[in-house]
Amino acid sequence: MPIPQLLSDIISLLLLLAPSAALLSLVLAGLALRREGVATLAMGAGFTKWMFWAIVFLTLQPLLSWFPSFGVGMPIVSGGITTDWLASFQSDVASFVTGFVVGRIVPTCAAYFVLRAILDTASGGHPLPSILTAMFLLGTETTYNLIQSYNTGTPYATADVLDSLWNHLAGTIMPIAAVLALVAAILNFSIRKPFLKHIAVSMALLSVSAVWNLVLAMM
Amino acid sequence: MDLSNMFFDHGVLNLANWMGNVIMPTLAGLFIIIAILEFSKGGEFSHSLYGALACLLVSGLTRAFETFASQRAWNDPDLYWVALTTVINWVGNVILPVYAAVQVVAGALRMGLFSSLHPASGGLRHLATAGLCLLVSGLLRLAEFFVTQGTAGVT
Repeated sequence: MPIPQLLSDIISLLLLLAPSAALLSLVLAGLALRREGVATLAMGAGFTKWMFWAIVFLTLQPLLSWFPSFGVGMPIVSGGITTDWLASFQSDVASFVTGFVVGRIVPTCAAYFVLRAILDTASGGHPLPSILTAMFLLGTETTYNLIQSYNTGTPYATADVLDSLWNHLAGTIMPIAAVLALVAAILNFSIRKPFLKHIAVSMALLSVSAVWNLVLAMM
Repeated sequence: MDLSNMFFDHGVLNLANWMGNVIMPTLAGLFIIIAILEFSKGGEFSHSLYGALACLLVSGLTRAFETFASQRAWNDPDLYWVALTTVINWVGNVILPVYAAVQVVAGALRMGLFSSLHPASGGLRHLATAGLCLLVSGLLRLAEFFVTQGTAGVT
């Protein structure tokens, strides 16, 4: 029995809305970064969860290509949405996410978090989580492009993107974070607070891949 | 606002550069002031003094840490251990001998001068504090001079 056209169009609509969902997931990941602070970027925390979903949404089509191997036919229709109002709905939602949420709301949220950083400091907190959140939010579009550039389009695309992001984190972001840890060590030393932890962390951030290989060697 | 040119890693990198090259040298001046104030009260001022020097040394310390963390291949499981060993060796073989020389000078000063004339005691301390208060910029320039000279290494 052929698939009804409306059902095919709804499937196409959901697949075409996946990039918009990925963008929204990245925005939510940025907001979670502030809510949880920089010390809880652990697997399972909100930031990691939303990053994971952003990657899943961006690699949804390659991921679905696993289903035929399970014996489940995937009626992915090429050629877009034929029903006019559904096509219009998809176009409207996509432009709402890119033009309104990412283009206008996200920069405003970032500006709010810069102010929040100052207020956090005034109330005895730390400004770094809010500053990093502002930077992450401002970089939503380029992070989205970065993830897309890692998409290999194969059935393993989700894992490939996760691997590439780990490499980006370990090879690019963490060495920069090591400098911030060193700055924290100097400031803590100057005001007579414990600083050896920051020295050890700074060294570890400069050798993340080696620590990973150390764990592998222990197995 | 062009969001297509705003990268998170660029933001973090520029934040680290701003902290290391702008804010920390500025804080060096603050820590020298704190050290002078602590000295005037006969308090412990070495943390602020060394902290001020370290604030001027962020780039140098970063390069040092990068060197410590690249003693083996990037994927060598022993890299972290070797890096920590190198740090400890560096502190033991480079920093502590310099610290020893400072201690010898401090000991000689203590033995060679009567306690009433020692810069950290009694009335002379207040006079020394007055002089140091007028020398904050000079002390900062002196620390910067030491750091600049240090880029060529110890010869």
